[in-house]
Amino acid sequence: MVLAERLALNLTALGFVALGAATAWAWYRYRGQAQGRLAAALVCLAIVAALGRVQDLFGLKGGIVTVIGIIEILAFMASGYFVLMFRDAFLPLHPRARQVAVAALAVSCALGVADVTVLSRAGRGVTAAAGAELILTWVVFTGEPIIRFWLASRSVPSVQKARMRALSFGFAGLIAILVFDVFGGSAVQSPTAIIATQLIALAMVPVIYVSFAPPAMLRNLWRMGEQAELRAAIQDLLIFSPTRQELAEKAAGWARRLLGAQGSFIVDSQGAIVASAGVDSADVIEIIAARTGSPAGGIEAPLHGRGEAIVMPLHLTEGTGFLGVTAGPFTPLFGSDEVNQLQGYASSVTAGLERVRVTERLAAIENNKTQFLNLASHELRGPLTVVRGYVSMLEDGLLGNLNERGRKAVPVITAKVLEMNALIEQMIEAARLEDGALMLRPEKGDLREIVKDAVDAVAPLNDDRHPIRLKCPERPVVVNADAERIKTIVSNLVGNAVKYSPDGGSIQVEIVNRGGIARVSVKDRGVGIAKEDLPILFTRFGRVSTPETDHLPGTGLGLYLGRQLARLHGGEITVDSDPGRGSTFTLHLPVVAPPDPRSRQERLHSAANRSI
Amino acid sequence: MLHVLLIEDDPAIAEMYRVQLEYDGFRVTVATTGEIGYAIVVNAEPDIVLLDLLLPDRSGLEIMADVKERLPNHPPVVILSNYGEPAMIDRGLSLGAIEYLVKSRVTPASVSQSIRGWIEQARRGRSEPSN
Repeated sequence: MVLAERLALNLTALGFVALGAATAWAWYRYRGQAQGRLAAALVCLAIVAALGRVQDLFGLKGGIVTVIGIIEILAFMASGYFVLMFRDAFLPLHPRARQVAVAALAVSCALGVADVTVLSRAGRGVTAAAGAELILTWVVFTGEPIIRFWLASRSVPSVQKARMRALSFGFAGLIAILVFDVFGGSAVQSPTAIIATQLIALAMVPVIYVSFAPPAMLRNLWRMGEQAELRAAIQDLLIFSPTRQELAEKAAGWARRLLGAQGSFIVDSQGAIVASAGVDSADVIEIIAARTGSPAGGIEAPLHGRGEAIVMPLHLTEGTGFLGVTAGPFTPLFGSDEVNQLQGYASSVTAGLERVRVTERLAAIENNKTQFLNLASHELRGPLTVVRGYVSMLEDGLLGNLNERGRKAVPVITAKVLEMNALIEQMIEAARLEDGALMLRPEKGDLREIVKDAVDAVAPLNDDRHPIRLKCPERPVVVNADAERIKTIVSNLVGNAVKYSPDGGSIQVEIVNRGGIARVSVKDRGVGIAKEDLPILFTRFGRVSTPETDHLPGTGLGLYLGRQLARLHGGEITVDSDPGRGSTFTLHLPVVAPPDPRSRQERLHSAANRSI
Repeated sequence: MLHVLLIEDDPAIAEMYRVQLEYDGFRVTVATTGEIGYAIVVNAEPDIVLLDLLLPDRSGLEIMADVKERLPNHPPVVILSNYGEPAMIDRGLSLGAIEYLVKSRVTPASVSQSIRGWIEQARRGRSEPSN
């Protein structure tokens, strides 16, 4: 039994020595400041464990025992202090707390040294009290950080989370053993208890070690659960991000999570930082400038006091940019696994950035076009207002009497001005439609009146060669529609009928109300439209080009707008044509129940009263 | 003689309206900025105001809001603008304009013909308790 007990004690001590050596070596290779503190804590623990066995193994006696005891106590207290300092490295302590910790360390060390020297002959109670103080201080030094780490681990990527939790768990195990040793009473002295506690302590060795330097296999394992979710999110991000900036920021954020890195950044071909998270711009610039890795990307050596970084080139159209991640106290020491992963991710990010670049350019072009349309039409309205006003005043004789030729010219100018006005209105309406700013103002009304108004509006543009015949049902045809818009559609159809009947001919406008649908058909005897040209009729700026019609003015917006407006009303415009003999355009609109008995005039009146 | 105040910064449009309105027997005052216009509304008490929205110093809608807030018995205001956006029309009417017209869609003659009607409509609206 004694042998088993001694074996357990030796094994545990050996385990801690190995842990100390491994962490010291890992730290020696990368020398992160925060990692250094954790390594120091573990090395101190290794010293405590080793010295604890030296006395027993070599049967030492006398003064050397006291010296060993002093070193043991100092190393023990230092280990606790270094854990606290490790916490301070990335969850900074309050300056006052730091002072208190240093004071507590000094007091405990003094007390511990006194305990093994001057107090060693004092009563058992005094020694035990001093020992309890030491243990208590150590428990506070390590207990507070592990609770902090555990809490902080909830909001970090899975690799960091696992590492922080391993550290918390490992030290919690050690604390439990110590508390049990000191306060457990006689139960602690039994060989079974000693073996059990030693084995538990031994089990904590690998747990603490993986928190310091987890092997690639474990890192993969930790990441696995997160990765499927990550992949889906990244795919969404790369496909749906609207702007380059947003994509870069999110892509950098995901790179960080993907590798459980401390920081990440994206730099464009000009060397400007497009996005970064968890890393200073100065550091990014330094990392990029100090790049010594292969052009295909890879691990970069750590810069003074910081962890290493992986930098991957992004081959963009405008040049080579970089995607990088940096290591921190709780991120893995990067390996080939991380490099491969980032490489795959970098090519996705490149594709995403390229896609956004193209769509941004397209959107800018589209936007310019809409803005131009908007501006041009608004700016055209002003001058036209003056021309139209004066022409109407000329026509009224308000500006004096015109001679015969002048009187003949006025109606022509009026017709042309109205035509231009209609074109401008079409352009504005198209711009609104593109902006998504087109709002209907539906109101119940009689379609017969609307169509009559529309036909009247075209009259000034018409001549004797195109008599317009309007045929309406006897009863009202009630539609819930934006009267102005429907008027625009119908006058455009009638205007087209006139325009595309260069040889004259009557135009028939007919309203039919059947099966809940009102149909307004406009029939001409004009040039007609070839079957293959029908599909482009309703496209924006789509005009059919034929020798008969090429000379006629038009924007190619009228039918496009008409169909869009009809559809916004839940209706449609259809066409039926016989080349050389004429066309029939039909507006279909849903019909509703009869309108409010009060006339439109009355309602306008009451609306006006309300607004005063 | 009814007094029409035209707040309009474009001299060509202002002159055109002045010719038409004076021909039809109105007294016309033209203000080329919002501030001058507002001062005339306050001091000269015109019978009706024709208000442009895009003015060099302040927006016509601001003037509209000021008139409504500070002058309980203000003359009827008709907005005469180049903007025809439904949202703008709603804003203008909700601020208390009696009518919102898009310049390019009307002629000076049609505006002039409606003036007496608007003044009458405003008078009726004031004498009736608002609902």
